[in-house]
Amino acid sequence: MSRAAHGRARGWARLAVAAVVLLLMMLPVIWLVSLSFKPPREWLATPPSLIPRNPTVDNYVVLVAPGIPKGTIGEVVGAAQPVTRAFVNSVIVVPLATLASLGVGFLGAYGISRFRVGGNFLPFSVLATRMFPPIAFAVPLLVYYRSAGLIDTRLGLILMYTAFTLAFSLWLLKGFIDGVPRHIEEAAILDGASRWRVLFTITLPLVRGGLAATGLFVFIMNWTEFLFALIFTSRTALTVPVQISQYASAVGRFYGPQAALGLVASVPVLVAGYVIQRYLVRAFTFGLVK
Amino acid sequence: MSRGDPLIRLEGVGKTFDDGTVAVKDLDLEIEEDAFVCFLGPSGCGKTTTLRLIAGLENPTTGEVFLRGRRITDWPPQRRGVGLVFQNYALFQHMTVRSNLAFGLEVRGTPRREVARRVQDMAARLDLEEVLGVRASRLDLSTMQRVAVGRTLVAEPNVLLLDEPLNNFQAGLREQMRAQLKSWQQQFGRATIYVTHDQEEAMTLGDRIVVMRDGEVEQEGPPEQVYGRPETLFVAGFIGLPPMNLLPARLDGSTGRVSLADASLELEAGTKERPSGDVVVGVRPEHLLPVEGEVDGRPRLRGVIDLVRPMAAKTIVDVRLEGGTTVRALTRGIVRGEPGEPVTLAFDPMAVVLFDRSTGLRID
Repeated sequence: MSRAAHGRARGWARLAVAAVVLLLMMLPVIWLVSLSFKPPREWLATPPSLIPRNPTVDNYVVLVAPGIPKGTIGEVVGAAQPVTRAFVNSVIVVPLATLASLGVGFLGAYGISRFRVGGNFLPFSVLATRMFPPIAFAVPLLVYYRSAGLIDTRLGLILMYTAFTLAFSLWLLKGFIDGVPRHIEEAAILDGASRWRVLFTITLPLVRGGLAATGLFVFIMNWTEFLFALIFTSRTALTVPVQISQYASAVGRFYGPQAALGLVASVPVLVAGYVIQRYLVRAFTFGLVK
Repeated sequence: MSRGDPLIRLEGVGKTFDDGTVAVKDLDLEIEEDAFVCFLGPSGCGKTTTLRLIAGLENPTTGEVFLRGRRITDWPPQRRGVGLVFQNYALFQHMTVRSNLAFGLEVRGTPRREVARRVQDMAARLDLEEVLGVRASRLDLSTMQRVAVGRTLVAEPNVLLLDEPLNNFQAGLREQMRAQLKSWQQQFGRATIYVTHDQEEAMTLGDRIVVMRDGEVEQEGPPEQVYGRPETLFVAGFIGLPPMNLLPARLDGSTGRVSLADASLELEAGTKERPSGDVVVGVRPEHLLPVEGEVDGRPRLRGVIDLVRPMAAKTIVDVRLEGGTTVRALTRGIVRGEPGEPVTLAFDPMAVVLFDRSTGLRID
């Protein structure tokens, strides 16, 4: 075999392996797509079939025109309202909570990175919120939230999401800020810039990629958060994951609409990921431009 | 401000870091206007810390810093008007060269037209006009350095501080950049403090050299003085390529004669009243001359050749003396010699420097 042919064969082999891995990883998503177009009879049919035998868009219709999917019996427990409210809630709560987490996290991380605020203890203790199962916080918080009137409000969720993702953004951003050479900031200070000016005109632009990456992760965490949203909201401030869980009746779960909403719900994340993508590359090659 | 005050004066300045490291001890130093001063010393000797203390990036634990007679110890770096070129240049990587040059002026609220004019002017002087629109992260090393120097000079600082700016350059380019720096300094006429661990750099650039060690000044003075009249054993052993030969000896206070331990040789020390004691005799390698037979009664050292290293214009000859100590002789031209061959080194007694072995200080 010639050298070129050999190389080509290797290329194909690599491509094949990549395709198999991709297929395996995408399998749940593919299954979700398939399920979302299946009528009720096929939801749990055995043997399962990847291609719906009688494809339907009923599952999507139910999302905007509440009712039970055709061919099912029983009353819908929740989800008597269209998905719009849950979507509006998620679209308001999640980005705001993400921005708040990034803002507080960035300032905190800067203090810890540059001034060693709180010594060794503080940065570590911030992690405490992630050391317990989240449900452990639910009961005490429920008491506070009731007296503060924050139950079933967007503000309540924003505060909670900010608090619980803070440890994550703080630690991730600290890593990025640590990567900004101290001398660059000192050079700006010698040029006459104040600490705040340095923070916003030098450090912030340099960790832009890190902020984008952290923001995307926090956004996804918040967007898919279910437990707190379920406990702390009911009708007014419910989010998309809660709405998904509500497609069920006393008899069983409506898998079709759940799959349909699951797919629709992933669209904002995909858009966010696509927009942020070019910053991500910068974020992870940051060390190279030092 | 009164006339006659030095540009910068350090008075008993000391710096101990939080972790207990003593970087600088009780430093007294004066920097005159228009001087080019080199801080020279091995790494960890406190020279960079001293620079940062002058810039205000570190606060001294003890002592005071003065700028033209005004006490500025508590002043933040922003107020001091000190320009610092960092070892890795610390350019604002996300900005263009133009923005890098303009940053300091803009921060200080200089009118926009004035900023543009001065940036343009600086770019022209440092040959940066073609890269004004290029992002700093995409420049090559020597351009980065020019931007770093330009960025600090454009704000017309009281003093320009340079922290090992040539460290990243290869040997050939280093020489070139050294000349470049010298010419800039003459052109801009700004007092400059230059930190380096490279003695050649310090010798060629500095009007004055401050040799530091363990946070203290060992000696300061013009290069020829630091080289020719080292005040301490450390300076004698640190300066010079190769450094000064240091030979143990004994001084007889009553006769004023010095007897070398390694050679049956006595010197007229010519010192004033001195107690007897152990001393060290320092001789520069270039003052040791391989000779044949007796020559005009100069003191001689006998030994055998250990190693001969011809280096085109000069040759370094390592000679093991009778006592076992090895000395280095530096001679012009190429010298031939086989290891093991006996050799006689003559030297000028006037070129010898004596040190007290216990204090390490020079004896005059």
